[in-house]
Amino acid sequence: MARVELKNLSKAYQDVEVLHDINLTIEDGEFIVFVGPSGCGKSTLLRMIAGLENITGGDLLIDGALANSLSPKQRNIAMVFQSYALYPQMTVAENMGFSLSLERKSKAEIADKVNAAAESLQLTHLLKRKPGQLSGGQRQRVAIGRAIVRAPRVFLLDEPLSNLDAALRAETRVEISELHQRMKTTMIYVTHDQVEAMTMADRIVVLNGGYIEQVGSPMDLYNNPASEFVAGFIGSPKMNFVKGRYASALGAETVGIRPEHFDLGGGENAWEGEVSLVERLGHDTVLYVRVADAGPLTVSLSGQHSQQVGDRLHLMPKPEHVHRFNTEGRPLA
Amino acid sequence: MVARYALIFVLGIIAILMVSPLILTVFTSLKPTTELVNPAWYPPLDVTIDHYIRVWTEGGFNRYFFNTLLISIVDAAVMIVIASMAAYALVFLKFRGKIWIQILFLIGLMIPVTAIILPLYSIIRSIGLVNTHLGVILADLALAVSVFVFMFTSYFVGIPKALHEAARIDGATEFQIYRRVVMPIAVPAVVTTALLEFLWSWNDLLLRLLLLPRDEMRTLSVGLLNFQGTMTRDVTGLSAGTIIMAVPVVVLFLFFQRHFVRGMTQGAVK
Ligand SMILES: Nc1ncnc2c1ncn2[C@@H]1O[C@H](COP(=O)(O)OP(=O)(O)O)[C@@H](O)[C@H]1O
Ligand SMILES: [Mg+2]
Repeated sequence: MARVELKNLSKAYQDVEVLHDINLTIEDGEFIVFVGPSGCGKSTLLRMIAGLENITGGDLLIDGALANSLSPKQRNIAMVFQSYALYPQMTVAENMGFSLSLERKSKAEIADKVNAAAESLQLTHLLKRKPGQLSGGQRQRVAIGRAIVRAPRVFLLDEPLSNLDAALRAETRVEISELHQRMKTTMIYVTHDQVEAMTMADRIVVLNGGYIEQVGSPMDLYNNPASEFVAGFIGSPKMNFVKGRYASALGAETVGIRPEHFDLGGGENAWEGEVSLVERLGHDTVLYVRVADAGPLTVSLSGQHSQQVGDRLHLMPKPEHVHRFNTEGRPLA
Repeated sequence: MVARYALIFVLGIIAILMVSPLILTVFTSLKPTTELVNPAWYPPLDVTIDHYIRVWTEGGFNRYFFNTLLISIVDAAVMIVIASMAAYALVFLKFRGKIWIQILFLIGLMIPVTAIILPLYSIIRSIGLVNTHLGVILADLALAVSVFVFMFTSYFVGIPKALHEAARIDGATEFQIYRRVVMPIAVPAVVTTALLEFLWSWNDLLLRLLLLPRDEMRTLSVGLLNFQGTMTRDVTGLSAGTIIMAVPVVVLFLFFQRHFVRGMTQGAVK
């Protein structure tokens, strides 16, 4: 259990700064997700917290104590790697008990803790196997097991689900959330997938180009994005951005309207377009509509609808849900 | 099909060429002296092990054998430790001047042994280690360490960095990571190093001739020269001595063959 503070943290490789002036306080027991496109610095930031990358500027505090130059061991954190990084020559039980055996804990104590962790992850029947004899999903659980056995102060996960297939990913997502509810340990989770971020996080940190774009709860980010970047990154299908006369009519450089925030029909101000593609998902119907002067728009209608490709229709953005941005991509009040 | 038979034929010829000296030597070593007039490819009619007994006792091969065994085992064991540790540092640790050390090892790979054997001799002599096994061992290690550092390095490079990081997070010291995570993965490289260094050490003549002038310190390779006088030549003794020297190597290779091939190829392709 720990509170992690990042103060003016920055990271440079030689002369190239890849993380700039990161300020963030992660509360004890919180589930924080770092999300952003590939290369934005998520892993680097996580590895700086872990002690695997040195900190070239600013301070890292764990439970109020400066941790910049502590070794990973002294920080008492655990980490789940994207590649799982299981020790190939050790059995599952040895993998999970490795950190405890380094602390010279007794065999009995190690076995107890390993068994308890294995039980909670349904790994008991696999304890004697080597990682090479496990499926991807099983390896992933062993990696999580290895981390929880130690009862660390902070739990770090770097894209732990990206090597799993879609069904297993959704399942494991739920399990990790439940694990957090049970353990109440501070968790920092890195992903490039906004769905994982939205579904798991207490708070999301959106990173872009080495800067923090916004920090907030999933609904904060969805309802009040602090920039065009966040607006476009959070939410699926993606928000529509419209420039030109429709935007100026609303007094903005760019307006952003989420696909789910259109009404069909509407008066003389309605936007008129032609359906170019229809995706029927059952609970939703997604229409791709070409609107003159606005470009292609994505429109998501709740429930099942009968529109066909080639149909002409009128759209009206719900006024209370229109996001207006200035030329810098910042929201207008 | 034709290509297949042609291949078997060529391989057969190569095999015969490689094995026949060994077979002929075995024949000669088992022949009574009276049968030496027969051509070399005549099998012995009256098999005798007298030559072996003579070589082993009077010829001093018992002492040579244990001298050689001692030097070769120590060479191989120490080489595994120092080469793997150096390679570990080069691959997994960050430190200043690493590039210079790598260049140094590279130079060590490129310089031929014969070019530095005399300077090496004078170094060993200046520290008073001529006529000691320690002197030979140090010289052996110095001459071959670059090769094995290179081999371990290319093996370690194939080990994911994340494994090293995971072990650091788990609280392991560098030495614990080396001992408990990296080396158990590197077993094929260890076996290859052990066999090659043992073999080189076992067969080397030049260094031992220079560094071990006293007879009771000598090794098998030097001992074989005793049978070759300026005027005479003890063919049966030479043959028996050669077989005594060859047997441990052959046994070792038969035993570790699979490991050995794996070690030679694995690091490179992964
Ligand atoms: N060892 C390194 N040396 C130089 N640049 C690096 C190194 N590691 C990462 N970077 C750079 O830092 C940036 C952030 O990388 P990373 O944290 O891995 O991104 P993410 O995990 O968000 O995809 C990238 O632009 C990457 O090229
Ligand atoms: Mg990454």
